[in-house]
Amino acid sequence: MKTKTMKCTDVVDHICDELDTKLSSAKCREIRRHLAKCPNCTAYLDSMKKTIRLYSTYPDPRVPAKARKKLFAVLRLRK
Amino acid sequence: MKKKIEHRSSPEVDLIRRARRGDERAFTKLVQKYESLVYSFAFKVCRDKEQASETWQDTFVNVYRKLGQFDGKSKFSTWLYAIVVNNCKMKRRKRKLDLASVPLESPHRFHEDPLLGGEGRVVQTIPSWKETPLDSVMDKELRTLLDKAIQKLPVDYRVVFVLRDVEGLSAEETGKILKLSVPAVKSRLRRARVFLRERLNSYMTR
Repeated sequence: MKTKTMKCTDVVDHICDELDTKLSSAKCREIRRHLAKCPNCTAYLDSMKKTIRLYSTYPDPRVPAKARKKLFAVLRLRK
Repeated sequence: MKKKIEHRSSPEVDLIRRARRGDERAFTKLVQKYESLVYSFAFKVCRDKEQASETWQDTFVNVYRKLGQFDGKSKFSTWLYAIVVNNCKMKRRKRKLDLASVPLESPHRFHEDPLLGGEGRVVQTIPSWKETPLDSVMDKELRTLLDKAIQKLPVDYRVVFVLRDVEGLSAEETGKILKLSVPAVKSRLRRARVFLRERLNSYMTR
């Protein structure tokens, strides 16, 4: 049976779903084959991964002491 | 009405049981254990320190009042995330922050038939991104850009992005928190990622 070759538009739709999964299914293997030949989809996948990395490494702010003090006062709790 | 906590024992479940019985020290310990998780998640969703502080307080007040409703079927953190999301959305509704919705565009346009160069190789028309800096060296411009981009993302999509990609929760757990099906979580995540990627594109390719 002849399979339809994957186009960039199909790959881009699936790249986003498969970003964090192991590329093992038949569709994923096809994506991987496409990525090996296509610099555009590779660049797109890389930019998507970087987008996520930027947000996940953005530093966490600390709980303001004022907010903690207020909460404990509202609930009448001892620290 | 108080729900029965599923029969399982762990230091955390014991702490929750004690807090439900009115043990103040146990509740305080529970707050201390989860305060950073709640604040950091509230900040990532609200993207505003003042709103995050208010959401943080409201969340623990809710936890104090509703701890009897926690049945232990899900993780305690899952239950907390759901309370934060509700509080954050309520605050935004009150402040009418989500009235102006932003259209979510489709992915960067790819050609149906890619441009071919010598020896039939595909010509790269989508520019590569530069390396991402570590958080400690992110410059002010990039931080402002990241803040602005995520602030423009509608909150229903933002929450999915933060839970899945930043907090690292599974699609199933995210669906449970937001009362969404797994395909709905995947669809919102895909659109959120595309939206954010497009907004960072010019900075990352210049």
